[in-house]
Amino acid sequence: MHGIITIFGKELSDHFSSYRFLILFALIAMVSLITVYMAGMTITKELEGVAKPKFVFLMLFTLSGAGFSLVQFVAFFGPVIGLILGFDTINREKNEGTLSKLLSQPIYRDAVINGKFLAGFALIAVMMISIVLVVSGMGLIVMGVIPGSEECWRLFIYLIISIVYISFWLGAAILFSILFRSVATSALAALAMWVFFSFFVSLGANAVANALTPDAGASDPDAMMQRVRIGKAISLASPMELYTDSTATIIDPMRRTTRSLVQIGMMERLSMERFSGPLSLWQSILVVLPYIISLVAITAVCFAVSYTVFLRQEIRSL
Amino acid sequence: MYRKKTAQIFLIAFLTASAIIFYQWPGSAHNNEEPVSKDMPDRLITMAAEYPGVIIPPEEDLSMEIVFHNRGKSHENIEVWLVQKPENWKARIKTYRFGVTGIHVPSGEDKTVTLEAEPDKTVTPGKYEFRIEAKTPDDYFKMVQDISVTVKEKEEGEKESKGVKLTTSYPVLRGASDGEFEFSVEVESKLDKDAVFDLFAQGPEGWDINLKPAYESKYISSLRIKSNQSSTVAVQVKPAAGAKEGEYPVNVRVNSGDAKGEASLTVILTGTYGLETGTATGLLSLDAKQGKPANVSIYVKNTGSATNNAIKFMSFKPENWKVEFKPEKIESLAAGELKQVEVIITPYEEALVGDYSINLRIEGEKADKTVEFRVTVKASATWAWIGILIIVAVIGGLTALFHKLGRR
Repeated sequence: MHGIITIFGKELSDHFSSYRFLILFALIAMVSLITVYMAGMTITKELEGVAKPKFVFLMLFTLSGAGFSLVQFVAFFGPVIGLILGFDTINREKNEGTLSKLLSQPIYRDAVINGKFLAGFALIAVMMISIVLVVSGMGLIVMGVIPGSEECWRLFIYLIISIVYISFWLGAAILFSILFRSVATSALAALAMWVFFSFFVSLGANAVANALTPDAGASDPDAMMQRVRIGKAISLASPMELYTDSTATIIDPMRRTTRSLVQIGMMERLSMERFSGPLSLWQSILVVLPYIISLVAITAVCFAVSYTVFLRQEIRSL
Repeated sequence: MYRKKTAQIFLIAFLTASAIIFYQWPGSAHNNEEPVSKDMPDRLITMAAEYPGVIIPPEEDLSMEIVFHNRGKSHENIEVWLVQKPENWKARIKTYRFGVTGIHVPSGEDKTVTLEAEPDKTVTPGKYEFRIEAKTPDDYFKMVQDISVTVKEKEEGEKESKGVKLTTSYPVLRGASDGEFEFSVEVESKLDKDAVFDLFAQGPEGWDINLKPAYESKYISSLRIKSNQSSTVAVQVKPAAGAKEGEYPVNVRVNSGDAKGEASLTVILTGTYGLETGTATGLLSLDAKQGKPANVSIYVKNTGSATNNAIKFMSFKPENWKVEFKPEKIESLAAGELKQVEVIITPYEEALVGDYSINLRIEGEKADKTVEFRVTVKASATWAWIGILIIVAVIGGLTALFHKLGRR
């Protein structure tokens, strides 16, 4: 344990003093603040003279003020934080020959990887928490709306999911840095993975779904549903999809499902509109619980793989 | 003597001349003039009533001609007056325009005057005597004429109310016990002066009966009607709560002094049909899981006063949902009776989480009732347990990994 804490502290201080982190944090903070400011202005303008609807504060995170909302921004560029923090974790130490020196100290090998992962995790947590807090504070100033307790809980859960999500990418980046000796290769591999999951999975899912259900259209709602279902199943392979769906439902209490297209009968719609109200927090969580669990699980598995690979690697010979 | 002779001669000459003239006169004038020329007395006046004895229905006015004949040679003035008239009668002698106290009857002519008599309302059937006397100013003639008037009894059929009459076009109304009935009664005044009539209405105990002028929403208990005119009064009847089926009389009376009128109206109650439903606790919401049946028990109560037969149940629900009733039907539900019905609501397996509205309709013979339930579809918590298991497994795997590979 002692070794982990030492490594953790060292890594953390390394990160905090590095320009890489400063630039990254400045970039993200700037984008988030601008996004939220725009969203806040829009909401204030729209709510003028209107009775305050429930959960206005959460709209700050979901409303797209300048092209994309904060939630979307984190979904797309959060992975980059994780990747940049982790792509050279191990192979840089190897290349600089510091890993052998490090391991010659009374420090176990598992402490190295655990400490490095935990340091990255802590950094991500600090970053996300500070962003959400700053954004909330700004929302208070711009809109003058105080969040209720349920809104706070939803934000808290959103924060945890986001940290786990970014940690997954950190874990993936660490895995690449263990697998590839060259820093550039691991960076490229990580970037390729991000591009693949962020853009190509959804495109590919649509393409496959269209190919499988050629006769779907407005006249054939069943085939249409089939197509949407296939597309959804394929795109769920992407962690980004898992993250987007779960956070959207957590942040927006009016969302009842993670599905993008739902077939609703006439009577069903009437029946639902009669009592259209927000879901309770627990119901929202239950709806997306499988997604959250999957995220936690793939993050843990990803780390477990890196851990196993690292511990079995021959490193002394270098 | 000589003088008498000259008069005789004159008379004979006159008669002869007249005879010659009248012989050559054509036609009827001959007969007419004859009495004058013949043995007419100097003065002769007679008086006669057209009908010395008459029978009239009650409250009818009497009008009779009195004829004066002058059979004398001279024209006469006659004084005429009414000597005797019964109490409560108004009588006078008149011509077509004036009251008359004297009359001039030229020689050989007839004159008529009219006796008008008007009985009071208080005049009862019986015989009444009138006496008219007439005389010439020099008291040479004095004439007396008695007229007896018999006022007959009211006949059985025309037992008409005195002075005021109530009529209604629809004396019998029929409807549900919780309804309101409105009779329209016409009050017709036969009095010859304006009068204020008091109105009374009487019905079964506990009933609410109000009198209103037609098309107005004031409640009245008296009414002013001009002479010989009529006015419409609405009688509003509200049966007592819980009144049983049957026939109920409602009496409306009108009076003003001696004038009285009465109308009997009838209300026929057919009984009410009413159903009520709800849950024992009054809670109209329930939780359900997707694809899992949820139970709620409702009661059906007959709030009407008549038995309701063949009560069916229907539901207005989203597609693919199932709503079952146990029992499916209630054969008959007596007034005031209460029965319990189990409702099993099964949401669609892929129903979205959230609140839904389910309408249950209880349909009896003549009454129905709809009750709305708010069904909250909740996400199944199974995933929570599976998720906890997965996370425990993952953490366990990691720990095992740490133990196996760690401390190198």
